[in-house]
Amino acid sequence: MKKRDKKEPFIDTSFKSKTIKNPLKMDDSIADNYRGYVTLDPDKEFILNDKIGKILEKSCPTHAITYQNNDLKIHLDNGKCILCGNCKVESPELIKITNKFDQAKKRRDDLIETFSMSAPFEKTYDELGQELKNKIDKIFGRSLAIREIDAGSCNGCEIEINALNNPIYDIERYGITFVASPRHADVLLVTGPASKNMEQALKIAYDSTPNPKIVIAVGACACSGGIFGNNYATTGGIDNIVPVNVYIPGCPPRPQALLYGILLAINKI
Amino acid sequence: MEHYLSKLEQLKFKFTKHVKNNNEIHIELDDTSQLIEFCNILKLEMNLRLLTIIYCDERKINHEFSIRYLLGSDIDDIFLFVISHMNKKHAYFPSLSDVFPSSIKYEREINDMFGIQTQEDTILKPLILHDFQKNVFPLRKDFDAKTELNYSHRKFEFTPITGDGICEIPVGPIHAGIIEPGHFRFSVIGETIVNMETRLGYTHKGIEKIAESMSIDDVVFLSERISGDESIANSMAFCQAIEKIGQLTIPQKAEQIRLLFAELERIYNHFGTLSGIITDIGFPYGASRLNILKEQIMQLNEKLSGSRILFGVNQIGGVKINMTDETLIYIHSVLDNAFQTFEKILDLLKSNSSVMDRLRNTGMIEKQVARDLGLVGISSRCIGIESDTRHTHPYGYYPSIRLKQKTPRETMEHQVELQKRIGDVLSRFMSRVDDLRQSKEIIDSITTLKNDGLSVSLEGELAPYSSGLGYAESHRGETLHWIMIGEHNSIFRYKIRTASFSNWPIIEHAVLNNIVADFSVINKSFDFSYSGNDL
Ligand code: SF4
Repeated sequence: MKKRDKKEPFIDTSFKSKTIKNPLKMDDSIADNYRGYVTLDPDKEFILNDKIGKILEKSCPTHAITYQNNDLKIHLDNGKCILCGNCKVESPELIKITNKFDQAKKRRDDLIETFSMSAPFEKTYDELGQELKNKIDKIFGRSLAIREIDAGSCNGCEIEINALNNPIYDIERYGITFVASPRHADVLLVTGPASKNMEQALKIAYDSTPNPKIVIAVGACACSGGIFGNNYATTGGIDNIVPVNVYIPGCPPRPQALLYGILLAINKI
Repeated sequence: MEHYLSKLEQLKFKFTKHVKNNNEIHIELDDTSQLIEFCNILKLEMNLRLLTIIYCDERKINHEFSIRYLLGSDIDDIFLFVISHMNKKHAYFPSLSDVFPSSIKYEREINDMFGIQTQEDTILKPLILHDFQKNVFPLRKDFDAKTELNYSHRKFEFTPITGDGICEIPVGPIHAGIIEPGHFRFSVIGETIVNMETRLGYTHKGIEKIAESMSIDDVVFLSERISGDESIANSMAFCQAIEKIGQLTIPQKAEQIRLLFAELERIYNHFGTLSGIITDIGFPYGASRLNILKEQIMQLNEKLSGSRILFGVNQIGGVKINMTDETLIYIHSVLDNAFQTFEKILDLLKSNSSVMDRLRNTGMIEKQVARDLGLVGISSRCIGIESDTRHTHPYGYYPSIRLKQKTPRETMEHQVELQKRIGDVLSRFMSRVDDLRQSKEIIDSITTLKNDGLSVSLEGELAPYSSGLGYAESHRGETLHWIMIGEHNSIFRYKIRTASFSNWPIIEHAVLNNIVADFSVINKSFDFSYSGNDL
């Protein structure tokens, strides 16, 4: 075993990674090509027709893109999107993938964007986001205890939730801690498509959390069932089991997105 | 291969055999009642171990269920399928548990998913389906994946452990940390664990079943999500199986990129696990520093692929992500930096006696038990069983990798180091360190990328009912994906056996005679995936 040189500093100062100053700001800690949010490109003026609608619909493995041919509308459900980028491959000129992470929403419906074909690309669900932006400067009043519950996730979401606790994201500086029991928690952070086998446990955990409580659905799975959808072994999203306050889309949502969602949940943003 | 074929010829059994996909030998015994005996001979004379048991509902094709015992060698690149059929006459299938104790878990799985027992009078404990309504067998073809099932309580009894002063501690399915769900039932005397029984299956999502109703291109996304942190290994095994069936040779460059991502995946996960081990013994400073390294690699992943956990890299016929020689230089420099720091952290940990004290002699496993249970990956390497798919069954670009020759001194030092692997937490810790260093060497050995494109596409339709085995070494160990193609490029049967599935049973042995408080570090040192086990 090599003896540590006495003079060598205990903490390696050449180490570059620093705690991110403000995780809610888009900065170079997020790569440009990071797949964070999929939308129809609003800069492109396209007269959509049946064909394009159908191609888009077919390109999505989780059926996040649906096309209604009677009223010529395209719905993009961010709660179902697993950010695979398949739609971009199929129709590169229509789809835009950005590295945005601030997509958590309070209502499930708000995750669904509607693009109508006649008046192209008018977003219809924007009010809430605007309203929240105005509150952004408020400071925390109290600390928040979170209990994480895995209701059948693939463990991708857990990796990102764990990352919140590392020195780079360091969620504790906001007064947010992860606790060991739902009885100590204000917030339940739930991942996974809610497998049937976890249904009971999730209900019990929800009931044992003291009121007032907040439930946050993390990831495409928890929002909608994600790629697993609604099958014999899953329930197709945790709002089928317990009431949900905030939906954080993504597969998995990156730590910044998680933080945004948590802050949104407690109305501090 | 020839060696095995001629050995098979010398056996006194009557059977037909075919060689498929270069390294698969398919054997059908004439007299199926000899199956157990036959497998026993294979085990004793050819040193084969049970890899998995694949059950398949083929009533649509030939009115039968089929059962494939997949055996493999730890030394040579061969896979042996012993195939037998079950029809109305045979409602039970022979249990191999006398020959391979590991087979019990597969038998329980088959019982859950197909409703077929090994023997009339055995009652197998349920493994995957918990409180599902009775008499549903999800993997049978006449079961629709979208069926709404009612809740109905199914009994699950933990083996009762009784005696003076024995207490039971139930833990889970929701744990105290941010990890996946599973139930552990401890029986303790004071602080010491005298028995532990696991109950998993909580994250069962029906992956094998829903794959049958998806297009093969979409199943790539599904395979990435079998276990989020093994996305490359699993999608690679899946793609390789399809490419084998379609006899597709993918570009060298694509193979190189797959390999780079596979090793990056190994690196970030090992950093994470090491950090977890150190967290669990209560040394947050060391854990945080390792965690920073993990984060650095994840950021590298993000820059390279657009996903922090490498989703969306593989596709059938190649990869989607391009790399250039500049990217390689960038990867090398990030890794150089990270590993320099890593070695320093390692020195720090090794010189800290309280850390070493907690790791040493904790959670010991025995070699024989490891063999019997068919452990793979780190869990087996920690006790000196060399099992590494990258060596035994070289796939992708691995055969072309030339690592630096070790000097005799280094080889000897390594041998001495290996002698110290006694199956405790420290051995697993050090095996991971070895793995990390090796991954870095592998990545370093790639200095230029080939120039032959990123992917090729499948021509025409795959032959219906042809099958193939894909395999990869994830950071947990050998991962096997067996696929049988249906009509019109659909999937007829998708059998996944992750390293976690074969390794989980060891935890019940490893915790014996340890104190309850050490359970978390023992569990973390194995680092099994719950999702990869429950599928
Ligand atoms: S949302 Fe994606 S990353 Fe999260 S659990 Fe589901 S499949 Fe895994």
